[in-house]
Amino acid sequence: METVSIWIAAILTLGIFSFLYKDNPLYKACEALFVGVSAAYWAIVFYFDNIYKKFYEGAVTAEEPDYFLWIGAILGLLFLTRLIPNIGWVSRWPMALIVGATAGLWMVGYFVSNAMNQIGNTISNIIVRDAATGFIAWGETFGTLVILVGVLSGLVYFFFSKEHKGVFGATAKVGTWFLMVTFGASFGYTVMSRMSLLIGRVDFLLGDWLHILR
Amino acid sequence: MKRQLPLILVFVFGTLMVIQYFVPHENSETVKGFLLDWIVIIGIFALALGLWSLVQVSVAKINSRKENWEYPLVTLASLVMMMFFGFTAITEGASLWSYFLAITVFLIALWMFLQGFMGQAANRNMKLLSGLGLLIVFSLLAIFDSSWEFKFYTAEGLTNQMFVHFFDYIMIPLQATMFALLAFFITSASYRAFRARNLLATLLLIAALIVMLRFTPGPWGEYLAKTSAWVMNVPNLAAQRAIVIGIGLGIVATALKVILGIERGYMGKG
Amino acid sequence: MRSYLEKMKASRVLLLVLVCSLLLVSFSTSLLAQTDSDTDTPADSIPAIAAPAQVTDLKAFDTDNDHGHSITIEWTLSADDGAGAKSVISYEIMRWEPFVRDSVMAARDSLGWVQARINKFEKEIPLAEESLDEVLTGQPFLDSLSFLVAYDEKDTSFVLTSEYVDKTLRDTIAAMKRDLPVLKVRAPLLPARFDSLLILLPKEYGKYPDATIGRFDSVGTAVSGVTSHENSSAVDSRSPGFIPDFIDYYYRIDVQTSDPNIRTTSEIVGPVQSSGQWFNSGLVPVLIAILVFTILTMIFVQLAKKGMDLYVRPLAGIEAVDEAIGRATEMGRPILYVLGLGSAADIATIASFTILGRVAKKVAEYQTELNVPCYDPIVMAVAQEVVKSAFIDAGRPEAYKDDIVHFITNSQFAYVGAVNGIIMRDLPATNVYMGKFFAESLILAETGAVAGSIQIAGTDEIPQIPFFFVACDYTLIGEELFAASAYLGREPELLGSLKAQDYAKAVLLASAIIGILLINIFPEYGETFKSWFEVID
Repeated sequence: METVSIWIAAILTLGIFSFLYKDNPLYKACEALFVGVSAAYWAIVFYFDNIYKKFYEGAVTAEEPDYFLWIGAILGLLFLTRLIPNIGWVSRWPMALIVGATAGLWMVGYFVSNAMNQIGNTISNIIVRDAATGFIAWGETFGTLVILVGVLSGLVYFFFSKEHKGVFGATAKVGTWFLMVTFGASFGYTVMSRMSLLIGRVDFLLGDWLHILR
Repeated sequence: MKRQLPLILVFVFGTLMVIQYFVPHENSETVKGFLLDWIVIIGIFALALGLWSLVQVSVAKINSRKENWEYPLVTLASLVMMMFFGFTAITEGASLWSYFLAITVFLIALWMFLQGFMGQAANRNMKLLSGLGLLIVFSLLAIFDSSWEFKFYTAEGLTNQMFVHFFDYIMIPLQATMFALLAFFITSASYRAFRARNLLATLLLIAALIVMLRFTPGPWGEYLAKTSAWVMNVPNLAAQRAIVIGIGLGIVATALKVILGIERGYMGKG
Repeated sequence: MRSYLEKMKASRVLLLVLVCSLLLVSFSTSLLAQTDSDTDTPADSIPAIAAPAQVTDLKAFDTDNDHGHSITIEWTLSADDGAGAKSVISYEIMRWEPFVRDSVMAARDSLGWVQARINKFEKEIPLAEESLDEVLTGQPFLDSLSFLVAYDEKDTSFVLTSEYVDKTLRDTIAAMKRDLPVLKVRAPLLPARFDSLLILLPKEYGKYPDATIGRFDSVGTAVSGVTSHENSSAVDSRSPGFIPDFIDYYYRIDVQTSDPNIRTTSEIVGPVQSSGQWFNSGLVPVLIAILVFTILTMIFVQLAKKGMDLYVRPLAGIEAVDEAIGRATEMGRPILYVLGLGSAADIATIASFTILGRVAKKVAEYQTELNVPCYDPIVMAVAQEVVKSAFIDAGRPEAYKDDIVHFITNSQFAYVGAVNGIIMRDLPATNVYMGKFFAESLILAETGAVAGSIQIAGTDEIPQIPFFFVACDYTLIGEELFAASAYLGREPELLGSLKAQDYAKAVLLASAIIGILLINIFPEYGETFKSWFEVID
């Protein structure tokens, strides 16, 4: 059983890699299999985690049933009315709950973490002094200045209702330079970790499957 | 009613959650907890809708007999099989042959039903009837075969050896390999990026190179490591902060528009 | 060494040896004396540590801006903490507890155990019945019985027969079965009974400082140098160490030294009660900001409705959308719209719905094909509504089919695999990626680039923006995704709110500049100003 399983895993691995050459029947089969298995896997896991553990055990079989959870189940059933053409619009109620509640939840949360706290972090001493000697640390001071220019010009870039002309346009342009540096840095930072994923698969093929490594 | 009530609900729940943010009292946490629980439960019901869509589209593709019509068969079969594994427990030490027989009968029965419901008008009743017949055979197998049984109320299916095997040797390798494709794609993307010739592309290229080569050994290594740390901590941080602030405002504005009913593109009309 | 000794006179060497041995003797005797003193007479021991000074200014108060069940204790350091005798190791926070609390809590904690036994009992009754049947029909038992019967016949007082075994054991099992429902009904009620007992506790707390009914117990320690402690518990009354609200508590602080016996007790503070607040006063700046932003948005929306001219600068990514749909129509190829991995609860996905609506409307007008594979079933349902409405708006409701928007799977890489397949097989003229994207962003965008599609992307996932930027023709960066709906629709309401968004940005920008100026010129005001932005949830 084990050997057969490893062979299956190896063939599937090669099947996905074959996509790099071109789309082919093996990849198509792998893809179809992957979609079916994964959809069922998550459906089963969600069923046991939520419908069963959260709802059934919480609202039906519990010693002190949580009747509020029934509202969730009813809303869930209302959502399924989409399948019935004439009353399908009822499914907008649970949708309204989801969208409304999460919009409210995110609105203030993001405002605090993304806007206010970031501005708070930006407000800092420009001139950095060496903790030991008390002299100005020129390198770090330059760094804080660059950060300041980067944040401000980056923000200017994101103005939508003002034309990028004159001083404003020039500042926005500096902003795009900073954006490019960030994109480049972020890109470069990820390359290595992506390579290690490939090494993991090659290790499986050569080690677990062909026993060449190890 | 069809359109107004949902918008009112959005406003009510949205405002409720905004207020909730400012109220530390435990009752406010309870309200939030319930809303989030409901959302999770609705999501599971919706999953049924999703699976139905997957089945519908697959059957339509198969029936169209257009190019690549065979592959949805694999999707459907693997979907049903994996679900079957998840809801059944195999008696320890039992032979798997009768289990597989039952699955096969079940698959064919389901297929007949699907064809009966969604197929061409001709001999639909025939298909429905044979599906029903096979389903009876399957039920008999389920009742009298002691080597396996359905388990809907205990998560024994999650430890069913076939379920575990499908997860370990089909889902995991496929997932890991799909992820590993990124190694090739990031290489081709780098090539694409490095081919561009203008000031912005050059800036991106230089920053990427510096950070990419930060682990280089040798005399240049230390210098590159230091420079890359500076790039990450200074200009990168600055622009990230600008983007983060922008996203924050974008989210706040969009959420506000949603709550106030200004943005209702997500809600159908009809 | 040798030369050194040679230089010294013999008498000096002798003296040295003598002194050394004297030292050795005195040291060992003192060691012996010390071990004696530890066991016998503490009074004779050398006082290693003097009792440290007690903490002063002890204050206990309800923790502010919280959900209740928490009391904050503050104090001024002992004079011997970091100064004076420097003997303080830690502070032990002591709270007055009535004895009955312990018993009630312990008894309630054991209820889980009781419940588990009952469950076991319930499971074992069928087992008992089954084994009884097995025993009574089993040959070994019958054999031994016949032996016993034969033996017992000599003693007529008691005869063990299978009938007897059958009857007594069956009666026992029947009795167990009869009692079980009663147990099952009563046992679950017990936790509630204990909870009501806990409510009686406040009366006991009220009896402080009656030493016969309670004592001070440790509820936590703080290391030296620390001047505050939060004595808190979870909200659930069944959680360990639960602190009920509205109950009188009394606290004191014991200053601890390295010697567990030497500690100094502070004066006692109390009574103090914990309670939850209905408004977090630490969030006042946020509340003001949100209100201002809301009002600003409403004003601009009204102004826009009245016809105020609202300029928005061009965004290449947005302008490309129309062009891309036109191109698809010319080439007779479909348009692929990917909503990403977000749920309907993600604002980025909601923004994407609006964009999808505009794209779908154009698609319907141009009579092009549209394909929207989905990762999340709720997103799928919403997207179906959106596309359907767009087709109705465009006057082509008959062209809408439910399989335009379809679910694939909610597994990240299986979804990517399937979308890759669509890109390579259907060769869409245009791929639009809008919403939340993670590691799959590059796989999708690179495949699309290889397939020769025009690609437009937008996401608020910062780590993925670079990949889209590199592999796509147009990328909406962060906030641009949220602005896109206003751009595409050109509806005055949406443009008005975009203007409000810009004003908010200007205010933040100005705040940053003011803050930096303040903190560099008047550090004190600067710090206060900065603290308004550093609120935490």
